[in-house]
Amino acid sequence: MASAGSGDEKAAAAAMITLISSDNEKFEVTEATATLSQTIRHMIEDGCTDGGVPLPNVTSKILARVIEYCKKHATAAAGEEGSSSSFSDAAFLEVDRAFLEELEEFDDAFLEVDRATLFDLILAANYLDIKGLLNLTCQKVADSVKGKTPEQIREMYNIVNDLTPEEEAEIRRETQWAFE
Amino acid sequence: MGLLALQRLMSLRRDRQRPRRQIRARNESIASVNTGKGSLCQYVDDDSRPGKIMTCTSPDLPEDVWRHIHSLMPLRDAARAACLSRAFLRSWRCRPNLTLSRDAILSEEYEPGVNVSHIIDRILRNHSGTGLKILKLQLYLITNHCLDSWLQVAVTPMIEELAVVPYSNFKKKYQFPCSVLSNGNGNSIRHLELGFCAFHPTAECGPLRNLTSLSLRFVHVTGDELECFLSNSLALERLDLSNCSKIICLKIPCVLQKFSCLGVIGCWRLRVIECKAPNLSSLRFDENVKLSLREPLKMKSINMIRSEAVCYARTDLPSIMPNLESLGLCSSNEVNTPMLPSNLLYLKHLTIMFASGDSFSPSYDYLSLVSFLDAAPSLETLILDVCEQRMEHESVFGGCLDLRQIPEHRHCCLRNVKMTGFNSAKSLVELTCYVVKNAVSLECLTLDTLHGLRCSGEEDSRRRMGCCPKSNSILREATRAVAAIRMYIEDKVPSTVKLTVLEPCTLCHKLPLCHNV
Repeated sequence: MASAGSGDEKAAAAAMITLISSDNEKFEVTEATATLSQTIRHMIEDGCTDGGVPLPNVTSKILARVIEYCKKHATAAAGEEGSSSSFSDAAFLEVDRAFLEELEEFDDAFLEVDRATLFDLILAANYLDIKGLLNLTCQKVADSVKGKTPEQIREMYNIVNDLTPEEEAEIRRETQWAFE
Repeated sequence: MGLLALQRLMSLRRDRQRPRRQIRARNESIASVNTGKGSLCQYVDDDSRPGKIMTCTSPDLPEDVWRHIHSLMPLRDAARAACLSRAFLRSWRCRPNLTLSRDAILSEEYEPGVNVSHIIDRILRNHSGTGLKILKLQLYLITNHCLDSWLQVAVTPMIEELAVVPYSNFKKKYQFPCSVLSNGNGNSIRHLELGFCAFHPTAECGPLRNLTSLSLRFVHVTGDELECFLSNSLALERLDLSNCSKIICLKIPCVLQKFSCLGVIGCWRLRVIECKAPNLSSLRFDENVKLSLREPLKMKSINMIRSEAVCYARTDLPSIMPNLESLGLCSSNEVNTPMLPSNLLYLKHLTIMFASGDSFSPSYDYLSLVSFLDAAPSLETLILDVCEQRMEHESVFGGCLDLRQIPEHRHCCLRNVKMTGFNSAKSLVELTCYVVKNAVSLECLTLDTLHGLRCSGEEDSRRRMGCCPKSNSILREATRAVAAIRMYIEDKVPSTVKLTVLEPCTLCHKLPLCHNV
């Protein structure tokens, strides 16, 4: 932790981090929540979070959602650390399963957003280096192309085909099995 | 101050060159969504090559992110996406993860006669060869004759996870070519999984300095060969062996300081497990293997499959491994659990599975499990899995109507109890009543009258995955179990406890009709 306070008051304050969105909105979050972001974790380790952490790439709308995700998953991470790793081997624990199911439901609901928001979340997760959020959001995009033809995918995501017809035909021959 | 800090951080990150999995955003792409602050443009990648952005191809996400998305697509989708654009083709050529199997390659309605081996061959040969971190070859029904050359092409010093399961036609075991991990190729490998092959590691294989987990299934390897290999894998944390029938004595050397988790199942010649590694805390084993552990006091979790497992665990474990926190027992042929003064003071999770079979004694008294509850004052979770093909215990609806009462003993920590395959056996009903009465902190009690997976209860889902089919006699017993719960248990459950009773499925389990799924 950056500054270990001597008094109770200071310790409590030190455990909170202020994040500042691109439109200058301030968000107070606990250190446990904030450090799901590796980027912010490193800043805390380097002691440069006094006065708040400006996140000029992230709007308040997106930051609020990111924080929502981090809060939920920080609790999960705490739970994981608490139990010894050897338990992964133990027979299925009902408690854990219920908890994981709840987390999955949260994730599913979290992903109910339009594409622009999804892309913004991806960019924010990438910039803040939040692995779980990045994987979650990227997986949603990856799943969306399931069974689609290249033409459909290009249209969905405005991907311009810069291959020559010959090149494309060659690749299609090579990956013919995936079209059958 | 903050902005300055951010810049400092960025330069720090460059210096440290954290080999992390973050997909680094590159300057231009970030600028495209930037709301004006230019400082982040100093965030340049370590490698000096200018960031290739799919600026013209995909408006919003940097190429690295698209590459990550591409890697998350299943193989067939990813292969089709290779012809989207040049950037996607590059991304396909250096896909970091390849899981190659019939399921991954063939569509659900594939034409017979597709040469899967040929497809795998082309995928691997056209792969750029760099950046492949995860390679899984699951070659069920696929010929092995090119496997050596595939491994030679694909295994580079970048490889972190390698799984090779050749097709076994039971004539001759494929011999895993340990040389592919020589000459530094095994430097980064963290997970190695082999199945259905012979593994004869020699000095040229290794040392695998970063290997943390090793899994061998149906692998021909001797105890001596394995010991030698292990003593060169100093980072190893976890070893899983199943059905490796050549091992008679398994020795884990003391140099494995990080070694914590061992599973040995189905190795029928195995007689002794001798673990000198000082930090073993989790062990899964079966049959009557003799254990010789250097630090039994460090054992936190045991899972074992053997006859009379419950009795053995209750009688022997408290003195040998008093610090256990989690215990999983799979037992057949059980004798009543004795009442003993010994304790497992730290036991939090207990799972007991009574395997079905002729050997399971119909005279086993489920109520004798109270002995375990008494011995474990910290117990939080109890899962009891009763799988009786024919319920031969005395039913609660049999002759004697009186339920036995045993002296009260408060169990303050027990919060969660689940019983699957719950039946109308009198002693099981008595055990449940005991729990309901004495577990004063109980939160959830789940009684599932059947075993196995269940459908979601919707007509649609049933077509894809229904409940496990059950015989009529099991369904009849399940109906009796529901009646027993209603009559003897339900009204004893305090309102603070969430009682869940899972009855036979109204869609899949209809009596007396045949219930095909």
